[in-house]
Amino acid sequence: MRLEKCWFCSSTVYPGHGIQFVRNDAKIFRFCRSKCHKNFKMKRNPRKVKWTKAYRRLHGKDMTQDTTFEFERKRNRPERYDRNLAENTLKAIKKIVKVRADRESKHILNRMKGNKSKERKRDAKELEQSIHMVKAPSALQKDPSHTLPKVPVKVSQHSEEDRMKE
Amino acid sequence: MAASKWYRAGRSLLGGLNNTSLGLLRMSSRTHLLSQQTRTFIQMGTNLKVVDNSGAKRVKCIQALKGKKGARLGDIIVASVQEVNPPKEVKKGVVTSTVKKGAVVHAVVVRAAMPRGRCDGTQIKFDDNACVLVKYAGNEYEPIGKRVHGPVPHELRKKHAKILSLAGYVA
Repeated sequence: MRLEKCWFCSSTVYPGHGIQFVRNDAKIFRFCRSKCHKNFKMKRNPRKVKWTKAYRRLHGKDMTQDTTFEFERKRNRPERYDRNLAENTLKAIKKIVKVRADRESKHILNRMKGNKSKERKRDAKELEQSIHMVKAPSALQKDPSHTLPKVPVKVSQHSEEDRMKE
Repeated sequence: MAASKWYRAGRSLLGGLNNTSLGLLRMSSRTHLLSQQTRTFIQMGTNLKVVDNSGAKRVKCIQALKGKKGARLGDIIVASVQEVNPPKEVKKGVVTSTVKKGAVVHAVVVRAAMPRGRCDGTQIKFDDNACVLVKYAGNEYEPIGKRVHGPVPHELRKKHAKILSLAGYVA
């Protein structure tokens, strides 16, 4: 029994699920559910649809290169049964899955790394620009403790000549 | 009077324009739905492509041998030949079609656009409706042609192993 990948979203198609479409040039398109099939019929490109694996890989959202991916491969020749080998494989699967999950979470953390400082900066800027929305300017004048410390700002002043021109 | 006539004509013209533009809009919003047209059984009047080298090009289904609603993938139908390939010149003379236009033949549906459930619960569907002409020989149907073009489903294995062996691709 083979677990195929969905053509649209690249998820695993388990036996008994989904639909497959055979084009006249004998290319087979497998879909995991009607959602993927409908999107295919609408001629959508999986690379441009945000929830697909193809999009996430293309835009660096998911981990793409890793040694743990090397284990999952399509083999056309059936392996001869070996009890020890099968046992070891079953043991290894658990380990590999764990390693992959760890690495993936690490990848996401790395990707999100710069976000916090960016957010801080943005918030500080917003506060500076729109403090007047919190307090009326007259109230600020009365109670200087609410104001931000004064920052010297460069203002380009119109020269006398410009004024004359106007 | 004349002015009012003009006015009316102008309005009707505009109205016409409006209608067409609306229609166009509607068309464009529905195009993707049109492509998702529901496919039905192969029934009386369905045109099928013939994908073997029997010489026939297109047949029209006149009866499904099984099922009340019509034939599906892998079923046998009775069909009338609508179009045949024109005679072709080769080294040793002229090759003409082995079947004549208007002949009533049996055929196996090897590709159907309507999805068909498989034994493992998945479904399979094809691009078009296509068939292979067969002849009843003794106790089973045997293909007339010696070649089958395009993909065929592996469901034919039980009853039409010959077609399967002739086909290039098995889906």
